[in-house]
Amino acid sequence: AEKSDTVVTWEDQQNINKFSKLNNRFHELEDEIKFAKETNDNLEDAGNELILTDEDIVRFQIGEVFAHVPREEVEIRIEEMKEVNSKTLEKLEKEKETVLAQMNELKKILYGKFRDSINLEED
Amino acid sequence: MASASAETASSSSQIATAAASPTTERRGIPAAQFVEDVQTFLSQLDLDVNSALAFLQERLQQYKLVEMKLLAQQRDLQAKIPDIEKCLDIVATLQAKKEEGEALTADFEVSEGIFSRARIEDKDSVCLWLGANVMLEYSCDEATVLLQKNLENAKASLEVLIADLQFLRDQVTITQVTVARVYNWDVHQRRIRQAAAAAANES
Repeated sequence: AEKSDTVVTWEDQQNINKFSKLNNRFHELEDEIKFAKETNDNLEDAGNELILTDEDIVRFQIGEVFAHVPREEVEIRIEEMKEVNSKTLEKLEKEKETVLAQMNELKKILYGKFRDSINLEED
Repeated sequence: MASASAETASSSSQIATAAASPTTERRGIPAAQFVEDVQTFLSQLDLDVNSALAFLQERLQQYKLVEMKLLAQQRDLQAKIPDIEKCLDIVATLQAKKEEGEALTADFEVSEGIFSRARIEDKDSVCLWLGANVMLEYSCDEATVLLQKNLENAKASLEVLIADLQFLRDQVTITQVTVARVYNWDVHQRRIRQAAAAAANES
């Protein structure tokens, strides 16, 4: 194969670098999204448990201790946490879409120039 | 075929001088030189192919070591930030309780799996662990200010660290591409030599 005849310009190198950067960010985002989804599930479970319990004072974890907090306050806190979490999740999903779109653009450019000489797929 | 590649080599050597990575190093990490033309690169280093490949591989090893170190620092910072946020949460809760005039009852871990109940009444001050076996007492407001500052510092350090890692990964990618190109160039050169030798034998 006459691979070595294709000249690699600084622009090509920068595209390759950018693709690598985006790929790393993509994997990081997948982990962060997974964590945010788990947090969401935990908060849902906590909310459900709260409805089921008939205690007035709930042991709510703040920092490393379980503070005795009245039930209404716990409800409010959990709602706030769920809000924050779903906003974070939405932001992460959006970023993931942008990253994927940019990666696909770069794939077109790089495969266009290098064809078989380059491999941009996941192992 | 041999003459055609010699022409391309001489014309591309003119552009080789213009090639330079934008930065030569960042916080102790040497930048990888971008290679416009393999022939020029090898004569510039004054190395044969195998020595050049060995040099590039060594560079990759060095980059790997630095990457390990930076990743460890990143993990530490990423663990520290939620800790500081939890501390801020507790201080805020104590202040809120003080305003209500109530004591805060909490269950805390005495030892693994063993909890005890505490009633916190004096909420004017908290003690903060500063590290190096030192703990200082602060008023709630001072504590909030200090913790907030620590949080901002941690976040800023994390940003710088992530930028360092990105720079490092770029250098690794450039070096890996250079290795592939030097290797391919060598294979190409061998083929040319073989073809030339075969043609010479036949004539």
